[in-house]
Amino acid sequence: MFSKKKITIAYTVEKCKKCGMLRKRKFTEGDILFAESSNCTSCDGMTSIEKIFGETIEQ
Amino acid sequence: MLSLVNFTNFDFDQLFAMSDDTNPIMMLIWIIPIILFVFYGQRIQLYITSGEIKKGIKKLEGYRKESRNELIDYVTKNLKSNDDLIKKIDRFLDHFTIMPVDMDPNGIVDKVRHTVRSREDYTREQVKLLSPGISDLELTKVQTLLEIASSLQMIYKIVNHMFLTAKKQKNYPLILPLQMLLPFILEQAEAMKEAIPAFKSGQPVGDGIGPMVVGKMMLDCKKETIAFQTVLAKTEFENRTLFLLKAEGPGSTVGRPADALETIVSSNKLDVIIMIDAALKMEGEDSASIAQGFGAAIGGIGIDRFQIEAIATNNNIPVFSIVVKQSVKEAITLMTKEIANQADDVRSQVYEMIQENTKQGQSVLIIGVGNTVGVSQ
Repeated sequence: MFSKKKITIAYTVEKCKKCGMLRKRKFTEGDILFAESSNCTSCDGMTSIEKIFGETIEQ
Repeated sequence: MLSLVNFTNFDFDQLFAMSDDTNPIMMLIWIIPIILFVFYGQRIQLYITSGEIKKGIKKLEGYRKESRNELIDYVTKNLKSNDDLIKKIDRFLDHFTIMPVDMDPNGIVDKVRHTVRSREDYTREQVKLLSPGISDLELTKVQTLLEIASSLQMIYKIVNHMFLTAKKQKNYPLILPLQMLLPFILEQAEAMKEAIPAFKSGQPVGDGIGPMVVGKMMLDCKKETIAFQTVLAKTEFENRTLFLLKAEGPGSTVGRPADALETIVSSNKLDVIIMIDAALKMEGEDSASIAQGFGAAIGGIGIDRFQIEAIATNNNIPVFSIVVKQSVKEAITLMTKEIANQADDVRSQVYEMIQENTKQGQSVLIIGVGNTVGVSQ
């Protein structure tokens, strides 16, 4: 009766192929594991999606 | 009226005694309930149990409706669908599968495989008819959503049937198995209902840990389709030939690894098979823990496992497995952070296993077993 509501938020972790920098952001529709994602923010390399996972929080 | 009964002054000797001076009204007070329980005990228990089961059935009905609505919502929003879509989906949700007769078990696996695959092929064709020109990725998603909705519909119908039969016959023992099984059924049904968002969005699920590990190993290799919705890549590792096999991502499919193995074995000599899969954790076990073992790690109805075991036995190939433990819910819902974080560790255990169990010049087949939704290669 008094249990808190649990919400799962999906995250995507991108990894730069050049500098290896990891960046965690919220999952967006169309994200696919190992697909090329975006330009790296710290170098001119491309990032690929390393992980997609959910984190559950209680409200 | 109250003055006739003094509640503060009970005479227990009189209440429980059976002597001549016992008050007959007092005697009736404890004899009537005994008679009632002797003759109507089961009916009272049936009434009490019915309340609990009704709550469960109400939940199952909610899951059934929710999954149907989610499916219709997804198809209408994302696909160019034909008219009378709802009618077609409703008709499809009521489809059933009659499993082959097993009085003579000889050849039963082939018959089961034929029945299951015919159903899969039929479902695929029906989805294509719902939306001509649908992409393969969307097709696998809709097919999975359809399977979830029809499974929830079937679960609800069976549980409701058992409950109503027991109630109609006023048969308490008939309701007992249902009372015992209902928590497990509810757990499975709830997991299926919660799997819907992940499949709709094309997110990897816990069961996808095998394809995730092998998919990364395949990244820079040349891939070929070796069986229906199944891809193979060939690479080298410390003078050993590695055959990497997984379902073709990022669609929602488990592929046909057994058919693929048959093709590989027909033209190559394999020395070891390593299978990576998700496995159901036991109560008390940590989620996302890794375990190594022996034998074919593959779930499902058993047809693929049977085929893999038969090929491995005929060709004298040892089968090793690495599993990542998880609950039913974790296996079919969005992959948890803990499971995703184990991918690198599993991969290093695969390489260790290759070094320990093969010599240079030998060939190893590594199969990433599981649903590859959201996991490319």
